[in-house]
Amino acid sequence: MSALFADLRLAWLLTRGSDRREWWRVGLTVVGAALATGVGLGVVALLSLDGWYSVSFGSGLFDSPSDRQNVGLALGLLLIPVLGFLGQCARIGAVHRDRRLAALRLAGAEPWQVRRIAALESGPACLAGSVLATAVFVPVLLHAWSSPTAVAWAGIVLVAVAVPVLGAAVGMVSLRRVVADPLGRIRRTRPARGPGRLFRTVTWLLVATELFIAVTPVFGSPVSFDLGPVAVILLAVLAGLTAIWLSGASSRQLGEGFAAGTGRPALLIAAERLREDPWATARTHAAVLLVTVVGSGFAGVRQVLLAHLAEMRREGSLGTDMAYYTTGIDLTGAAILIALALVLTGLAVGTAESLATRRRGLAAQAAAGVPHSVLARALLLETALPLTPAIAVAGLGGLAISVWYGSAASAHTAVPVPYAALLVPGAVYAACLLAAATSLPLLRRSVRPAELRYA
Amino acid sequence: MSDKGGETVPLLAARDLVKAHGRTEALRGASVELRDGELLAVTGASGSGKSTLLHCLAGIVRPDAGSVTYAGQRLDELPEKRLSELRRTEFGVVFQFGQLIPELTALDNVALPLLLAGAARTEAQGEAGEWLERFGVRGQGELRPGEMSGGQAQRVALARALVTAPRIVFADEPTGALDSLTTEQVMTALVRTVREAGTAVVLVTHDDQVAAYADREIRLTDGAVAAQGVAA
Amino acid sequence: MMAMSTRHILLGLLASGPSHGYDLKRRHDERFPQARPLAYGQVYTTLQRLVRDGLAEVEGTDSDGGPERTKYRWTEEGERELAEWAREIAPPAPFVTNEIFAKVVVSILSGGDADAYLRAQRAAHMERMRELTAVKTARGADLATVLSADYALNHLDADLRWMTTTGVRLTTLIAEVDAA
Repeated sequence: MSALFADLRLAWLLTRGSDRREWWRVGLTVVGAALATGVGLGVVALLSLDGWYSVSFGSGLFDSPSDRQNVGLALGLLLIPVLGFLGQCARIGAVHRDRRLAALRLAGAEPWQVRRIAALESGPACLAGSVLATAVFVPVLLHAWSSPTAVAWAGIVLVAVAVPVLGAAVGMVSLRRVVADPLGRIRRTRPARGPGRLFRTVTWLLVATELFIAVTPVFGSPVSFDLGPVAVILLAVLAGLTAIWLSGASSRQLGEGFAAGTGRPALLIAAERLREDPWATARTHAAVLLVTVVGSGFAGVRQVLLAHLAEMRREGSLGTDMAYYTTGIDLTGAAILIALALVLTGLAVGTAESLATRRRGLAAQAAAGVPHSVLARALLLETALPLTPAIAVAGLGGLAISVWYGSAASAHTAVPVPYAALLVPGAVYAACLLAAATSLPLLRRSVRPAELRYA
Repeated sequence: MSDKGGETVPLLAARDLVKAHGRTEALRGASVELRDGELLAVTGASGSGKSTLLHCLAGIVRPDAGSVTYAGQRLDELPEKRLSELRRTEFGVVFQFGQLIPELTALDNVALPLLLAGAARTEAQGEAGEWLERFGVRGQGELRPGEMSGGQAQRVALARALVTAPRIVFADEPTGALDSLTTEQVMTALVRTVREAGTAVVLVTHDDQVAAYADREIRLTDGAVAAQGVAA
Repeated sequence: MMAMSTRHILLGLLASGPSHGYDLKRRHDERFPQARPLAYGQVYTTLQRLVRDGLAEVEGTDSDGGPERTKYRWTEEGERELAEWAREIAPPAPFVTNEIFAKVVVSILSGGDADAYLRAQRAAHMERMRELTAVKTARGADLATVLSADYALNHLDADLRWMTTTGVRLTTLIAEVDAA
């Protein structure tokens, strides 16, 4: 126990003594953890309700068990970008922290001790976020629901505890390589690794499942539950994974292609950086692409659905109030927008982090007369180049989902062309460039000659 | 120092430079002159203001007070855009490390200043190759900085600093991380090249053996010039 | 203990074959460019001493149309002596006659300006180092020239480093010397 306190004190000293970036990491981790807890608590509360209730908000969307289950599922999906965001937060100041932990190892700390200290650095931040979210959630819940069941309470406690524990675990996992090597990764010559076996296995499994679902109706197999929603989710995930792979592979291709041919310095620098580590950008962009697939698919589906509903209402065949459907659609849209916001923040953080770790080199370039505009263009191109083909494919995936949905709906009505699905990729692309551009003021600060004074 | 004869109008002249970093005064009234084609060593203890002086002379940093005149223009009054252009075209800079872009090959690193000036890629690479040859690192042209030894990287950095045929090269501890034999090789390559090209050099170093490669030495103490020694 | 001496160097030069005194002087000055050049008289007397001690002998005389010159070659004993000398380590100087330090102390004792002296000495040292460096970096400088210049440069550099740290600690030294 005293060892734990000693580690805790060390973790506190390390955090307190570090620069402003460390506090950024702590702050963003608290936000991420609070969001994860909030979403988790929402899911728990929805799923712990049993039977028919009349919920005072949401236009009756929360009244029936099956609807609640669907909303819960959608909320659960929102956890993916939230967790991705938390992972991105752990990467802030990673190089700096790698060095610090490597120094601890050199000073004689055991691997497990370093892991504990690393966990203790991110755990408390997650705990703070979790406590914050729970403290807000419980009064709101009690306001809407006079006496929550014991199951609901148990779920709430479970989520509130699980988030900080998971956060600490993620911190430990992300630092596993540093811990193994007291010299850290100070001179990193990482080979440009491709995606691992797990990635490929999952992709092929998904392809197989998708094919199975596709051929099932042909043989008239007696499947007892509707495979439609499962197919949609699987297709979205598959398109996302393909886009990740595409982003990485095309990063390298584009990098090699442009690097060989261009005479423009900014393009040359960006292309060589992509060629050097194509999978780093692929990871950063993975979430962007997933959101693009879901977002463009949603936009298309929404367009078709609304047209369909409008027609049904004209015919008078609409069973429930129109608001019942639109609330559901709006909630889904809001969730996707939140996911997009998180993903864009993650992208901005990643870009800023990449700048911060090489600020001395950038300052040296500026001192040698490389114009600021060239460095800025290289920074933007680094995001723009690999995203172009990947977002295009993700957009096509979304379009495929909407067209598929449209054709399913066309059995009943005339279906509009889901052009909305095509607007989303463009908007996401622009937003990504804007997110990357938020680092430009940091670039201006990084190239100050004062940075030359520190190694 | 400067004789009134007028035959040696300094290429670069700094007068009474003052520069503070926060509460520390790095320069307190330092004055320097550099003649065309001259190799000037700036020596002094750690923290005596050597690097800050170099940064002021090269137009990387604006002094708080005092003037820097290069070929008749006041560097301390030029806009940043013009300074950047000057550093890119008429000056060359070499640091202890960090001036090479890690993702670019040695050849592209050297070609970069030419590309920035609008040269075509093949043309720039051809010229860069010749400079690598001159510094004996042609064979390392396709390597990236992380794959080279410290001495090789510094020779590539020198090639990059000299590829635009600058009038002044500013070198801040260019051999600070090298062993003595590699230092000798790098310095010999530098001195021979700048002598042939007539390039002036400002060489900041704490190593007197490196300072001995210069024609003249100025010694900084507490941000001011303590002593000047001239070659006979 | 055998001290480093001209005789051993001359013996070493004789190792490549019989030579005249003048030849030996020329080759010495070539091989050891940064050393003090040998005087011809010194070569002549040293050779005579080598013959006296049985380490070298006269090979013969020739004139080549000019003045008559004596050729020398080493003896077996000379070869042995040389091998022994070359193997023996040079004693790491136990007593350094440090003129610079003596001058600093004397100048403090007599109320002179030790700091000004150190600065002037530094300038002189740097001047010599620049000369040596110029010799070393000249195109076509052979390795023997570079190495002997390096040897001198490193010694001068050691002096300089000592002078730099002494300059910084001069106030303390003055207090110490004055108190004693």
